[in-house]
Amino acid sequence: MLPHGLLRLSACVPLWRKGSRALFSKAAGNGGQQEPKPPFDASLLQILVCPLSKKPLRYEESTNELINEELGIAYPITDGIPNMIPQAARMIGKDKQEGEPEQT
Amino acid sequence: MAASRAAASCRAWAARPGRLFWRGLCSQEPDRETHFGFQTVSESEKGEKVYQVFENVAKKYDLMNDSMSLGVHRVWKDILLRHMNPYPGTQLLDVAGGTGDIAFRFLNSVRSHREHQVRQKLRSHQNLSWQEITKLYQEEEQQSLGGSHVVVCDINTEMLKVGKQKAQHLGYSEGLSWVVGNAEELPFNDNNFDIYTIAFGIRNVTHIDQALQEAYRVLKPGGRFLCLEFSHVNNSIISSLYDLYSFQVIPVLGEVIAGDWKAYQYLVESIRRFPAQEEFKEMIEDAGFLKVHYQNLSSGIVAIHSGFKL
Repeated sequence: MLPHGLLRLSACVPLWRKGSRALFSKAAGNGGQQEPKPPFDASLLQILVCPLSKKPLRYEESTNELINEELGIAYPITDGIPNMIPQAARMIGKDKQEGEPEQT
Repeated sequence: MAASRAAASCRAWAARPGRLFWRGLCSQEPDRETHFGFQTVSESEKGEKVYQVFENVAKKYDLMNDSMSLGVHRVWKDILLRHMNPYPGTQLLDVAGGTGDIAFRFLNSVRSHREHQVRQKLRSHQNLSWQEITKLYQEEEQQSLGGSHVVVCDINTEMLKVGKQKAQHLGYSEGLSWVVGNAEELPFNDNNFDIYTIAFGIRNVTHIDQALQEAYRVLKPGGRFLCLEFSHVNNSIISSLYDLYSFQVIPVLGEVIAGDWKAYQYLVESIRRFPAQEEFKEMIEDAGFLKVHYQNLSSGIVAIHSGFKL
């Protein structure tokens, strides 16, 4: 009886380990993918314009920035709050090189 | 002469793309001097210094306001709201709105106005079935603000962060937006807002006339400009008491509560440097506003200036 039980237990353990490993990796995968990003209010796009040229902006989701194509500058969004100070904006050159952001 | 020519060429360059770089270059030109409290600083320095002042005190800002004014600042802001008397559907721009005091009061006011409207509507209906009544209340929940919206704009990210946290804490979820922006160069379209307010912020702006012009630009025709700001006391006895309190007590409070003597030294000095009621009224008129009036509160310690874009 006992040896059988032990055998069964020993057979189960690898499965359990496998299962838990799978669980852990899944959790780790999720943790790595889930980056809490405060949502940017898209309705703001209707009111916001570039402070320099007063032209409308485009929201770039990948970099979380508001882009003025014409002047080639990008305004950052931190914590869902867009930063529309020209000195904080990043220049986007034609070859997509990052210019020096001038911080106040 | 050379300086003005340089400035003119600088401005021409600034209009081209790659403007940011030239703007940086321009700021290195010998720019005019202005005041930072009782100190004299260059204009570019002032912006930076003001930013640092508010960045340091952001977390203790509300607490300091209550301590310095013994809670009276709440009354002043309530009176401003009473002047504003917003109705549901109003689009408000609150510049230098930082921690959101005016914005929250606006939302409260609009909400209670809306409830009053709904109640009146219900009263006017004589025979309503229960289904119709529930439908009306459901509508009210969806549009509890009636389309009103407030955009809080401030040059300082720290102040806005504090404001946003406060909003979450107090339960304001809709009708509110936060933007980091410069009052002299607002990131908004022309003719966008019904009301523009700036409470205790305009004295910190380097170019007040530019801020006033921007205010005129973003307001809709018929829009109202409201400014709540420290001003000049007309009564000499109160003036001397006020001076004593300002220069002896306030910086000490600043050091004890916020750990920043200099910020509050700047505060009381900047109040003295700000133009008096009549002079500020003329500046507002110069920007194009009409029917400009002001009302003194607390014997002139604070004044509310109001103008219309007509």
